[in-house]
Amino acid sequence: MSHLLTSIIFLPLLTAILLGTFRAPIKLLKLGAAFSSLGTIVLVIFLLLHFNPHQGMQFVQNSPWIYNSGISYIVGVDYLSLVILSLITLLIPLLYLYMYKENRKGYWYNMMLLQTGVTGAVLSLDMILFYLFWETMLLPIFIMIGKYGNGMKQYNSMKILLMTILGSMSMLFSILYIGYVYFDIHGVWSFALTDLTTLSFNAKTSIWLASGFLLAFAIKIPLVGFHTWMAPAYGSAPTPAVVILSSIMAKLGIYGIWRFGFSLFDATLAYYTSTIIVLALIGLLYYAIRAVTEDNLRKMFAYSSGSHLSLIALGIFVTNIYAWGGALYLIAAHALASAGIFILIGLTYKRFATVNISELGGIASVAPKFAFFFAFFSLSIAGLPGTGGFISELLIIIGAFKSNFWIGVFTATTMLAAMTYIFWMLQRTLFSQANNACFEIEDLNTREILILLPLTLLILLMGIAPSLFTPLVEPGLSRALENILTQIGGL
Amino acid sequence: MHEILFALPMAIVAIGAFVLMIVSPSKKIKLGTINLIALLFLTLSFVVNYFTFNNNTPHFLFANIFRNSFIIDDFAHIFDLIFSAGAILTLLINNNYLKNRKYFNGEYFALVLLSVFGMMMLSHAHELLTVFIALEIASISIYALVGYHKNKRASQEAMMKYLVLGSLNGLFFMLGTAMIYGAVGSTSLTDISIYTHAHNIQDMKLLMVGASFLMVTILFKIGAVPFHSWVIDVYHGAPYPVTMFMASTFKIAIFAITLRLYLVDFYSVNSFWTQMLQAITIMTLIGGSWIAINQKLIKRMLAGSSIVHSGYLLIALSSIGLNSELAAPALMFYLIVYFISAVGAFGILSFIASDSKYQMSYEDFKGFADTRPYMALMMSIFMLSLAGFPSTIGFLGKFYIFTSAIESGQILLAGLGILIAFISVYYYFKLIAMMYFYKSDQERKRFPITRSTILIAIMALIVIWGGIGTTLIPFIPGADGFIEIAKGAINSLS
Repeated sequence: MSHLLTSIIFLPLLTAILLGTFRAPIKLLKLGAAFSSLGTIVLVIFLLLHFNPHQGMQFVQNSPWIYNSGISYIVGVDYLSLVILSLITLLIPLLYLYMYKENRKGYWYNMMLLQTGVTGAVLSLDMILFYLFWETMLLPIFIMIGKYGNGMKQYNSMKILLMTILGSMSMLFSILYIGYVYFDIHGVWSFALTDLTTLSFNAKTSIWLASGFLLAFAIKIPLVGFHTWMAPAYGSAPTPAVVILSSIMAKLGIYGIWRFGFSLFDATLAYYTSTIIVLALIGLLYYAIRAVTEDNLRKMFAYSSGSHLSLIALGIFVTNIYAWGGALYLIAAHALASAGIFILIGLTYKRFATVNISELGGIASVAPKFAFFFAFFSLSIAGLPGTGGFISELLIIIGAFKSNFWIGVFTATTMLAAMTYIFWMLQRTLFSQANNACFEIEDLNTREILILLPLTLLILLMGIAPSLFTPLVEPGLSRALENILTQIGGL
Repeated sequence: MHEILFALPMAIVAIGAFVLMIVSPSKKIKLGTINLIALLFLTLSFVVNYFTFNNNTPHFLFANIFRNSFIIDDFAHIFDLIFSAGAILTLLINNNYLKNRKYFNGEYFALVLLSVFGMMMLSHAHELLTVFIALEIASISIYALVGYHKNKRASQEAMMKYLVLGSLNGLFFMLGTAMIYGAVGSTSLTDISIYTHAHNIQDMKLLMVGASFLMVTILFKIGAVPFHSWVIDVYHGAPYPVTMFMASTFKIAIFAITLRLYLVDFYSVNSFWTQMLQAITIMTLIGGSWIAINQKLIKRMLAGSSIVHSGYLLIALSSIGLNSELAAPALMFYLIVYFISAVGAFGILSFIASDSKYQMSYEDFKGFADTRPYMALMMSIFMLSLAGFPSTIGFLGKFYIFTSAIESGQILLAGLGILIAFISVYYYFKLIAMMYFYKSDQERKRFPITRSTILIAIMALIVIWGGIGTTLIPFIPGADGFIEIAKGAINSLS
């Protein structure tokens, strides 16, 4: 039991190393990847069955690692990491199914490394361990964009690498400083989150340290102003990388604020609250406008993803139970919907060799199944009632109204912008006059439907029967919120 | 009798150098044989060193003959191990290079051994004149090695540049020594230490000026800005094996004596240089990065980055002056880290250069991952380590340097260091990008299993294991093992 999380984290990496050492042929490699992803599914299902929603951190494994500097290997799971962990575990096998025909070995190795990186980041409770995974998950993305991407791939992958590392370096500085402060007080080194949360800093230091963390997370999310890497990277990245970028890695930025920001700098984050809410509101509007004007589908949904992540960021800084619940729900709902839409964009590219809206048209008349799924995922991103997106957006808006009338008004109105670009895009791609390029294209085949079906069902289930999911996270969520509110005394 | 055992490692290398000098003119003995003889002497020295190394109480070597010129302690022993390991790796990894270049002959090995002898003497030296002699033995051998390619202009130019500037620099050292002698009446480090402890800093202006001259020499040798003008050209002009030897081993030798001077005999006054060191550190970090970013050749980039690494080491040095307890082990650990990473990076470079006519620019590495995937992987590992990416030993090195800087209160310097580490990501990852992002039109080559490649692979494994390895697995020391070594060495100094 105590090694369960470790197995979940390292199963893909070990498979990759094993296959790499023996220079496995491509068929065996695919089989190994499938084995590792299904293996993690089994482990995560086991975890879900034994997960107790009324407890805090569970399945904690704590072993000394580099004891000279108090760096330990600590992993654990709670309501928050469970959500993202389940998402990762669900998406990776679907992506493997998508990559079924991919014969470049590096692709598969990178995906396995990526799975270990993101899973590790979400489960680690030691700052240095977290930093290690946080950086490691960047490497496969860097290679995948630069090697297998399209467009100005070399430039764009260097851009995402440098910008993200700038953020992580600033976080590293804060981590080292906090670690040193702990050493100064207690005489021993420790980077364990539970130890570091006992520290308190004076206001000025705390603001500086928090900004180190926030820069890293703001770049990852990305909040508006830190977003210049986003559209180029999404535009150049191959589909599996885009899906991970938007469904998982962007959420990890939110996760970072939630897990580390709130527990290390509870009071200080109140100082930043207004800044981030304003940035999020600007982001909601700005990204929506960019999405309306964008012709490239990938970039359009990149902006749309930025807009939704701004909404999530707003949700967690509006500290009340509605907004928090909505934010957590939206993390899951948006991850599923954007995974679906980016997979569909990938399929579009395979069929039409273009993802520009202006070159597409009339898909609905030639490929009805394709058009159905495309419309479904687009609308669930926009928050169609009956999908998970609707409930979460509603909750966030209610939360925003509860905290401040004007924040609520802005949030609610900017949500309309999402409708604008989604409907306009659907009208142009699916229903307008069919182009020459769009005749004689295949509809979705069984394998492709098989990829999209689980996502579709989950999104519907989340929309229709939220009560299936809430018991798993609600107790933990309300307890965490209570803690925060007693610390900062509300917004 | 026991004393001879302690003197043996140095003696073996010196004898080896003379033996090689005698046999090298002979036409009958092949280069490979000479290489083997050189390796034999170095390995013997390494082994003897390894077995005499266990927590000795510091004492002077043959005190009745040499007085207190040479000290035997763990600190010096660890450096000796690093020097002989560096020379062994240089000779083994560059085996191919030596075979494919006609201009190498027997003296090359003699010179390498001689410089190792000089460095070992330097790490044991406990007397300023001995330091000077040791420094010159090592340096003159290096000058000759730098200009080893007699028909290449760049090589000759590099040698002249290094020779002239280095000799001038030697004069500074002599001047400093003379001044210190004038103040103290002795050049022994013990006497200087007693003198500095007994006097107020205002009362020993002459000594401080002299010591500052010593600092200039040291800063010149490690290539700190503004004494860096020689670094790029010399590293570029020298043959690959020599560059590797200089960057990895010789630089560490300089830090051996720096640490001894700084921690032992100027310990009570070393805060005097802190501000100067901070200024030089800032210049070195920024200047080195600027140089490294602008290079097209990998060799020159690594030369520039070696300046940056000197900058990191200088951060730790100025932290020592501000009474940081962590700084000295951090510096020591970083030396080991840099040694491993630099040997690996230069080793691969030299291995690839050995059978190609290319200049080894960034462009030449396009599609390298297609033709030589394993080599590319190892090169990436070394680049990641040099960049301080987590999960490599390079990260832990930077981790200690920066925490020690924070401990000493140099928050801004730590911040600058992290910023510079960020900048270095650019020029290291540029190489990784070149290797992986472009397709190659050449066929995929088999991974050649030779002495060189196996050693490079082992170095790559050490880089990874040193970063993530845990001591919990019995019999294999992990990251903690290296840290313990560094701490032990520093503790034996005081």
